[in-house]
Amino acid sequence: MTDDEVLRIEHLSMVFNDHKAVNDVSYSLPKGKLVGLIGPNGCGKSTMMKCICKIHQMTDGKIFVGGQDISNMRPAEVSKLVASVPAEAGQTFGMTVMDMVMLGRYPFIDKIWWETEDDERVVREALRTFGIDHLRRKKVSTLSSGERQRALIAKAYVQQPILMLVDEPTSHLDMKYKLDVMEYLQNMARNDMTVLVAEHDISLMARYCDLCVIMKKGQIIDIGDPKKVVTEQLIRDVYEVDARVGLDVDGEIYVLPKRARWDNNPGETHFESSNP
Amino acid sequence: MKSDMEHPDDEVSEISIKKRRFRLIVAFGLVMSVIAFLISISISAGGIVPVNEAIGAMFSAIAKGGTNLNTVELYIYSSRLPRAIAAIGVGAGLAIAGCMYQAIIRNPLVDPYITGVSSGAGCFAIAVVALGVSIPLIGSNSLYIIPVAAIVGGLIAFGITMGVAEGSGGSASNYILAGVIVGFAFSSVQTVFLSMAKDNLSNAMWWLYGSFANITWENAWIVMIPALGISLIAMVWAREFNLFMMGEDQAKQLGMNVKRFKRTMMIIASVLTAICVAFCGIIGFVGLIIPHACRMAMGTDHRLIMPASIVLGACLMLFSDLIARTVLSPLELPVGAITAMIGTPIFAYMLIRRGREYDG
Repeated sequence: MTDDEVLRIEHLSMVFNDHKAVNDVSYSLPKGKLVGLIGPNGCGKSTMMKCICKIHQMTDGKIFVGGQDISNMRPAEVSKLVASVPAEAGQTFGMTVMDMVMLGRYPFIDKIWWETEDDERVVREALRTFGIDHLRRKKVSTLSSGERQRALIAKAYVQQPILMLVDEPTSHLDMKYKLDVMEYLQNMARNDMTVLVAEHDISLMARYCDLCVIMKKGQIIDIGDPKKVVTEQLIRDVYEVDARVGLDVDGEIYVLPKRARWDNNPGETHFESSNP
Repeated sequence: MKSDMEHPDDEVSEISIKKRRFRLIVAFGLVMSVIAFLISISISAGGIVPVNEAIGAMFSAIAKGGTNLNTVELYIYSSRLPRAIAAIGVGAGLAIAGCMYQAIIRNPLVDPYITGVSSGAGCFAIAVVALGVSIPLIGSNSLYIIPVAAIVGGLIAFGITMGVAEGSGGSASNYILAGVIVGFAFSSVQTVFLSMAKDNLSNAMWWLYGSFANITWENAWIVMIPALGISLIAMVWAREFNLFMMGEDQAKQLGMNVKRFKRTMMIIASVLTAICVAFCGIIGFVGLIIPHACRMAMGTDHRLIMPASIVLGACLMLFSDLIARTVLSPLELPVGAITAMIGTPIFAYMLIRRGREYDG
């Protein structure tokens, strides 16, 4: 493993009830990159991310984060290296933004009960960084989707990880907030944190990410510069969709889906009307 | 990166605010509990004794060791004092058990009886009361036969719930479903026992609806010390309960051993519930509503909710017992009915005022 590598995965497999959700995956990610993890539903993106942060115990293989083999590390030690951002906050029982973000300091707190001034300083800095300090006493449930997503990212940010895993951060957001969240993730990568984002919006990934990892049926299909990796052929192979992939006037990639390729094409189905 | 630095209360420490609120809860709670305790020992069906006289009588009765007491001392020492002590333990215990279950299962409709403890305890207690079933090593006329049967029944029911839940994956939903079916099973057996109770039906019903009428000095301490002790010890894990509110995956990701924590807390909460129901029967409402009310009043931090639940649970139980034994004197009402009558309107008011911003 080189000094520049933050994550290295060797022959990772994860089996659920005889189903190989992740099948012999190997790759490495360098420091300070925003990496898009792309693939259809059920291809193993979330499972692989959960193995990296030890939510799932991998069936086989090795994962190195910052040069350390995490398979023999306690989850509390891993959580100082890797942070994960869920797609949704879920039910928060009236939790405030400050309380939720402060939970990210859990791995660092040695005392039984109260956080230290240092923990509070880290949290307040994160809240300011993500533009939500003025919302810190508000309940998470009262925030807009975009604000809630920023709060979730802030919670992972205060873990001060070297690798952040983000699961579908923009799935509930409008265009403005999508760009907003991606800007924050890109800024974190510019500050030497490696950010791995699982996302379905390929245009957005191609526009912001330094690297794209493409998955299908539990395996890595391709990895590299989005401008080279994201092609019409790849979309057809991975998603079974005909799409137009091109560059806009600013030289940014766009992906325009045209039609799905089904074995039994629904477009050819004749719906019978119940009306006479 | 973006930043929004300008806020008028920028430098106010949230941790200091919380510590201050915690100290206030402890101080206010102690004062409230003492007041509730003194009111409880001052009033009875026989009349009201001035608080200073009640305090004097209590201390003189204790000094005399419970012998050669005058009428007031006798009332307070032999009847009101043990009831009040047991009520504090049971109120605090049920409130904390409810608080723990709601956090672990992440479901606002959960109460301490969700794992089938009350049904198991009820089934065994009714078997003893109604059918005269005996327990090895305990005499059939012993004061402890019902409590021992209730604890054994409660823990057997919880053991079955845990076995089924863990066997089906061990998730919070599995615990709820397993608890519901085990509860139904024990309740149905209990119904059969009740239908066979004949002359003992009234005694059985008393236990099922909860009462402190049969509390003596001996069993008051047996309830109070473990119930309050476990409640206070459970507060050590307040920060872990906070973490659990974000869901099991997030707790795991932040380094918590979720499975071990959940199992340990389930066992502690179930033992606590079994102790609470053993001597006084099944008292509903406290374990469901008190943690909710505390959450609505002071947020989601268990470092504040848990001590507040102990205080509020104890006070509600003291007042409920007071009303149960005085309002229709000489008839004594089931204390479980009173806890619901007091708590429901207060909780409804809080829900109307604060419910919109509360997604739990």
